[in-house]
Amino acid sequence: MPVKIVTDSVSDISPEIANELGITVVPLNVVFGNEIYRDGVDLTTEEFYRKLEKCQALPTTSTPPLQAFIEIYEKLAEQTNEILVITISRKLSATGESALKAVESVQKKCRIHIMPSQWAMMGEGLLVIAAAKAAQTGAGLDEIIKMTERNDSRLGMRIAFDTLEYLKRGGRIGKAKALLGAMLRINPILGIKDGEVFPFGQERSRNRAMQHLYNFVSGYTNIELMAVEDATTSDEADALTERIRGIFPDVSIHRSKVSPVIGTNVGPRVIGVAVLGDK
Amino acid sequence: MTERKTIAGQDLREMFSAAASWLEKSSSEIDALNVFPVPDGDTGTNMMLTMRSTMEEAFRAPDNSAAGVASAMAKGALMGARGNSGVILSQVWRGLAEGLAGKESFTTADFAKALEQASKTAYKGVSNPVEGTMLTVMKAAASAARDQVDIGNEDIISVLEAVVEAARDSVANTPLLLKVLREAGVVDAGGQGIYTLFEGALRYLRGEVELMRLRKPQIIVSEIPHTTPLPQTAVVDEVPYGYCTEFMLKGEKIDTEAIKKRLEHKGESLIVVGDESAVRIHIHTLDPGNIVHWATKLGTMHQVSIRNMDEQHQDFLEMQKERVPTADTAVITVVSGEGLNDIFASLGAAVVIPGGQTMNPSTKDILQAVESAPSDKIIILPNNKNIILTAEQVHSLTQKQVAVVPTTTIPQGVVALLAFDYEADFKTNTRIMENAISSVKSIEITRSIRSTKVNGLKIRRKQPIGLLDGELIVAGNSDLDVLNKLLDKMEMDKAEIITIYHGEDVEAAEAEQISAGITEKYPKVQVEVVRGGQPHYNYIISVE
Repeated sequence: MPVKIVTDSVSDISPEIANELGITVVPLNVVFGNEIYRDGVDLTTEEFYRKLEKCQALPTTSTPPLQAFIEIYEKLAEQTNEILVITISRKLSATGESALKAVESVQKKCRIHIMPSQWAMMGEGLLVIAAAKAAQTGAGLDEIIKMTERNDSRLGMRIAFDTLEYLKRGGRIGKAKALLGAMLRINPILGIKDGEVFPFGQERSRNRAMQHLYNFVSGYTNIELMAVEDATTSDEADALTERIRGIFPDVSIHRSKVSPVIGTNVGPRVIGVAVLGDK
Repeated sequence: MTERKTIAGQDLREMFSAAASWLEKSSSEIDALNVFPVPDGDTGTNMMLTMRSTMEEAFRAPDNSAAGVASAMAKGALMGARGNSGVILSQVWRGLAEGLAGKESFTTADFAKALEQASKTAYKGVSNPVEGTMLTVMKAAASAARDQVDIGNEDIISVLEAVVEAARDSVANTPLLLKVLREAGVVDAGGQGIYTLFEGALRYLRGEVELMRLRKPQIIVSEIPHTTPLPQTAVVDEVPYGYCTEFMLKGEKIDTEAIKKRLEHKGESLIVVGDESAVRIHIHTLDPGNIVHWATKLGTMHQVSIRNMDEQHQDFLEMQKERVPTADTAVITVVSGEGLNDIFASLGAAVVIPGGQTMNPSTKDILQAVESAPSDKIIILPNNKNIILTAEQVHSLTQKQVAVVPTTTIPQGVVALLAFDYEADFKTNTRIMENAISSVKSIEITRSIRSTKVNGLKIRRKQPIGLLDGELIVAGNSDLDVLNKLLDKMEMDKAEIITIYHGEDVEAAEAEQISAGITEKYPKVQVEVVRGGQPHYNYIISVE
């Protein structure tokens, strides 16, 4: 029985990839006023940004209810006796705690291992994809855990922002608060370090921000997995993807969208790259 | 969500009990914010301990009426109040209890009235109220409740939502009102505590108990740029804070006003609160013995606490060092002009030394800045060729590792600072920043101070002249004329971004006109106009 891989919706993996690799995605929630939407299930990224433009009060987010995890564990336990759950960084969300807490309530006999990653968005997504690929080739739970731990330190992410307003509002700005209140027009380049948001640079224009992402990727000598994701500017992300393909023609690049929960925290016009590889 | 029109004693107790636990979760982070009135780093702890005593007493309330619980809370708060913030908090509960007197349960109108009373009582307890503190936040909260009631809102939860929102905004705004906060780059600790309490109460009423168990309150981040005190003011550290002296006085017919008057000039941060039978006194003084001795004549003393604040301040400084976000390498820069000062601070400069053309800072000024910066590795951006040498002298005078990145203009300083890599080590950053210098062309437009002949140009006194990367190459009839002549000499097809920093003598409208002229001539270039406020140079312009 192959190991089943579970993750949360803020890993930003596309439904197609989840389907293809047999990954179960547990949605967080986006809350607009009194309306609660399951991330990526009741609300697509496009719908989310349309709503965001029109809404009076900005949305908030919440972790998946315990019950969501319990139900998924119960269901998967009928098909396997080993489950690996990879979640967003603990410093960014309590989802990992919910995933862990839910294990206590599972009646069926099944080994469930929770791994909160140091990442979010496609950084987390690449860990999940690598784990799911290993599971498909028949790797056991312990083997996949070891590999994921190694991969965790082989990941890198850079995200170009237009504004830090959303990140600040959501309270997840972390060390990037050093870039708040800039009095010149700048495009912040952020990433994640030790599980929290970290500033990696400031560029004076959108063009230069894209160049920064490109330069970051070109600094790798070996790339195992890679992703480019966007919020509202897919043309720009596609163009960046094409440029990167020029230097890494053999690497397949996952293209995805930020999930509505991520969108709540990063706002529109964000573009991110995630790389699993070696410099 | 269901509407709640009234709240009785039981829920009043439960909501602030939940709020107290919520506060408890972030008390150490609130400690780290504490810079006013004394940076001793105990506001969060003090508020938390005060709330514990407040809520313990609330559970001993004689009945379950709102009035009964509130007055028990006020009693518990007074008995257990610690520190400045704790005493002010106890005044808040006392005012709230006064506002809810005689109420079995309360409506939004009662609540608004009680908050107003709480705010008023809090102000009254402090002999010298300062804005930008928890008092301001309390006032904003009360006024938000009043506004909601005035528009007919009868739902307690939504009124409390407005209160929380107003408190949050008010906390974020505290650095604007209080300079020490701006300089430390933090919001007011006591204000954050008040906000957290209201937020906790709201979350309880919304039924978010599970969420409160898993999550922590957020510390509010202010957008107001962090300004580091100039090195000249760093000596403030040497002024002793003295002793934080606190005690409870019990007796009969104690005259709080007389005590206030008597102690007014004996120290700082004086608070005298209570009634005829029990008074809590808090003061920062250099001579606690004198005050304690005098007070024993007025009644019996309880919970006497005298703490050395200089020791506390040392601990606080240690704590601050851990809090500073990217303290591995600190960048120090020399700039004149208020606007430029703010711009460099907002882009991450740890210390901005005032100086530049015709007012070069001394080696000692720069050394002081180096010593006061929150890191052992320092990169200096002199932004003027006459300051580079002075900056280099600092090497031999300090234990710290110092590198001078030889920027000779403001635009060079900006690109060097922007190139700073938060992850890279000291040496790498020095190299990255040096390399960045060549990515920008600097234009400076000023007036000639005398008639002269330079580079084959005949120049009249006071004539507008233009420098490119420090070299005088054109003279003209007006600033605009000089700028156009300069731009004609440059390879503008490669330019992407032009930033115009206008000087102290230039009106914003004039700078906008210049900007519009550039956009017309070079439509592909992104132009930004910022007030630099620098002396001597009407315009400093960067072309990237």
